[in-house]
Amino acid sequence: MLRGCGMVWSRVRSLWRNWFRRGGVDADLDAEVLAFVEMSAEEDAARGVTPEEARRRALAEVGGAERLKQQVREGRAGAGIESVMQDLRFGGRQVVKSPGFGLTVMATLALSIGITTAVFSVLYAMVIRPLPYQDVSRIAAMDTRSASGGPQAASYPEYVDWRKMQHSFTALAGYSPQGAVGMKSDAGAVVLNEVEGTDNFFTVFEVNPVLGRTFAAGEDEDGRNNVVVLSYEVWQQDFGGKADVVGRRVQMDGSAYTVIGVMRAGFRFPINVMNSIYVPLHLTPTQRDNRGNHWLQTVARLKPGMTARQAEADMDTIFAALGKTDMFDAGRTVHAVDLTMYVVGDTAGSLRLLLYAVLAVLVIGCVNVAGLLLARGVKREREMALRSAIGARRGRIVRQLLTEALLFAVCGAGAGVVLAYGLLRLIRMLLIASLSRGAEVQVNLPVLAAALGISVGVTVLAAMMPALRLSGTSPTMALKAGGSAGTTRGQHRLRTGFVVTQVALALALLVVSGLLLHMLEKLRTTELGFNPGQMLTAEINLPRGRYAGRDVLADFYTPLVEKVQAMPGVRAAGLIQMLPVQGWGWNSEHIHIYGTAPLKNPRTDPAEVRFVTPGYYKVFQNALVEGRLGDAAIDRPTTRLAAVVNEAFVKKFIPAGRDPVGMEIGDNDQMETLASQDNPRVLIVGVVKNIRQSIYQPPFPEMDYNIAQIPPAVSLNAIGSMHLVVRTSVAPESLVPQLQKVLHDVDATVPLREPETMMQVVADVLTFQRLENWLFGAFAGLAVLLAVVGLYGLISHEVELSTRDIGIKLALGASRGRILEGIYRRVGWMLGVGVVLGLLVTVAAEKFIGAVVAVGLAKDGLLIVALAVGLMGVGLLAAAVPARRASGVEPMEALREE
Amino acid sequence: MAGKATNLLQGTLDLLILRALMTGELHGLGVSRRVEQMTRGTFQVKPGSLFPALHRMEENGWLTSFWGESENHRKAKFYRLTKAGERQLGTETAEWQKIALAMGHALKTAKGV
Repeated sequence: MLRGCGMVWSRVRSLWRNWFRRGGVDADLDAEVLAFVEMSAEEDAARGVTPEEARRRALAEVGGAERLKQQVREGRAGAGIESVMQDLRFGGRQVVKSPGFGLTVMATLALSIGITTAVFSVLYAMVIRPLPYQDVSRIAAMDTRSASGGPQAASYPEYVDWRKMQHSFTALAGYSPQGAVGMKSDAGAVVLNEVEGTDNFFTVFEVNPVLGRTFAAGEDEDGRNNVVVLSYEVWQQDFGGKADVVGRRVQMDGSAYTVIGVMRAGFRFPINVMNSIYVPLHLTPTQRDNRGNHWLQTVARLKPGMTARQAEADMDTIFAALGKTDMFDAGRTVHAVDLTMYVVGDTAGSLRLLLYAVLAVLVIGCVNVAGLLLARGVKREREMALRSAIGARRGRIVRQLLTEALLFAVCGAGAGVVLAYGLLRLIRMLLIASLSRGAEVQVNLPVLAAALGISVGVTVLAAMMPALRLSGTSPTMALKAGGSAGTTRGQHRLRTGFVVTQVALALALLVVSGLLLHMLEKLRTTELGFNPGQMLTAEINLPRGRYAGRDVLADFYTPLVEKVQAMPGVRAAGLIQMLPVQGWGWNSEHIHIYGTAPLKNPRTDPAEVRFVTPGYYKVFQNALVEGRLGDAAIDRPTTRLAAVVNEAFVKKFIPAGRDPVGMEIGDNDQMETLASQDNPRVLIVGVVKNIRQSIYQPPFPEMDYNIAQIPPAVSLNAIGSMHLVVRTSVAPESLVPQLQKVLHDVDATVPLREPETMMQVVADVLTFQRLENWLFGAFAGLAVLLAVVGLYGLISHEVELSTRDIGIKLALGASRGRILEGIYRRVGWMLGVGVVLGLLVTVAAEKFIGAVVAVGLAKDGLLIVALAVGLMGVGLLAAAVPARRASGVEPMEALREE
Repeated sequence: MAGKATNLLQGTLDLLILRALMTGELHGLGVSRRVEQMTRGTFQVKPGSLFPALHRMEENGWLTSFWGESENHRKAKFYRLTKAGERQLGTETAEWQKIALAMGHALKTAKGV
């Protein structure tokens, strides 16, 4: 034991001495060897050998002082570290000597790793990460459709029947997001998002609360339903995460509620509702009894062994049975959508496409690095051979190459990690809330590790190639080979493969991003029907408890609009219940124009219904085509119903040549809200221009009612949620604080959302398109940049290797033109194959691309050809410099050089 | 096979050097000559093996070194056994004798057959 310690101590001491007194130790060794040589020579001299001969013999015996010293050094403690440091210094010198090469390799690595990781992290958070519910694959979002095929939620009476009659689900729950609600408790007043659900709402998700309980059976009945379940985030942020929160009393909408539970962290439904609280249904009398009032969304958990298709068939039977007595159920269909699909939604296709783009960039990056390193490796093959010839062991050479490769890899990887985090922050800022799970995007560590692993692995492998190849050849062979360095057929094929791969992937990325940019440009220039500059909007959700039974128009909206209009900088202010561009689908399916032939199937031709104030038209600067607008002075709850229709409505429903103004509409669907008069016929009083309800679809037929015609008794139901729209004469953002103050002055209890400019609203709708294009633009740019760097590197290497051949050809009388032609022909051939492959890849990927942007070969053919030609041009340009250099070579010089 | 032979030789060299130094301190050339003497010229230790071995053994703590004066008044580096070196000599000698005995037996038996 003691002895062991002594050993260790003596090793440590030697290590110390060898390292920190290296100079001293080496000088010592010098003196020792010198003494040996001289003493040895003296001995010989004593035996009568001439001094010169004795000295020569002694030196020969030592076998070269340097070599001996090296032998001693290698046996010494810390020899490994020393040579690694030596290699590192050598590697560092190499980088400094030719910074272009080292920096290119490192930058390529950094970009590949950073971008791959950042984008993949986004994809993971949105597409791949499982939803926070138990056994998600058994949960189905019920996409219920009306007979016309349009989305239509359930009415409460329908839901009750479906729930009673179904055999497919362990639970069929209804829910309805209610928007912002103010909550007061001992902890203060906060604005939260309320989701109402049936008593079995939590049963569907099978997620247990961390505290307390969820809804009990029958707890959605009046009198029992003033209970609330908090989401984890609300519990943490607004109740300090205290365990005694269960049983606490809180005030919402002027009523007292009891907190009964807190959900597990991460639970949210619908997934895009943040800061949510869950409350059992609170039904108004009309909601409870009216079969035509479709507002309740449904979600269900399939019974074990039951498939979604079987459940749909089950529901179809129910619709058919109910349809015999009820017109709303006749012809209904349902699609039980896998919940993950439902949440991830339309973005899945685009995101998947992005994923492939990311992989393509990683592949291009890796090919690039490998190509660069291999090319350099070939150049250094002779250096390696020389080292080996003067006595370097193979392990030593391999270690040196490995150290250099790791130096590149570590620097590149480090920069890549920094880039990944930076990029992710940027993407998160751009994402906004429109992507359902955007807020939870974090760097995905396994992916970062994988990207690091792959790229570092490729780097090291590529760097080691020359050393590994060296094992097959004797140093003399490699040295003698001269011009044949790197010109074996296998290497040539590998390099050609690299060039072709890079061109193909870069072209595929270019085509996709080109098409996307093209599409975005079209969307951006879509005729919205209004100018979104200098407009502000604010969403208003009136607290139901406070406004129940009141005339919301007289008590809230009229004073609000008057006050807003009086604000300096405001040109006009108005109200509408669905904001153009942002929302649509509030429609009437039973339109009939009196005096015209009835439509064959009226339910397939819905008309959008809007409740507006005249100010809305002023704000959107919508021109009246004919007739008049709604007028609060003429159109009262007691007077004849009047509607202003848009041009799309006229085109759809009014026979050509007839004057729409003065014609009458039968609109059964809205009568519940509006029919307090005797005459259910709606008079068309005016026609206005189209304003886009959806940015992606042509204008829908629309009919607008003046909110002044809504009877006060039902007003909360119809217009409890509205959008205030304001046209300003100054920068719209500058009015936000004032607008908030006005809203607060009118009624401080109305929960406030931050007002947005209309530009923001349009941008939000286009966010994903923007993000996608931005990323694709970046990708395509990067891919092309990497490909060009790679092409340049590989081609110049290719040319350099054939310098000797070129020299011979020139010496034999070939013209420089011929030489150039030969180089360009070879490069052109490689590029051509790459372009063809790239087009094939694009066609093969059409399935994924098609989910994002339609590829029409005829329509976009020109664009694609232009991109292909452009890429070829860039490739040839990359060849130009090395080609000129090669053809400018002096034959004698070229031959001597090798 | 090559590896084993080297190990055996290295072990032998270490033992010979330890043994050479048993009688007192010597410089490098001295060690070389003493080994030659002890083995009646069978083993000639070249500097290429001698110095690495000496430095290695010093690092192992078996030897210490110091600068002194040679018989011809030349400055030279001398080596001396440490306590650990003496112990090492004991173990290695015992080990070697065991091997030598075994080898001797083995070869004798083989001859007999």
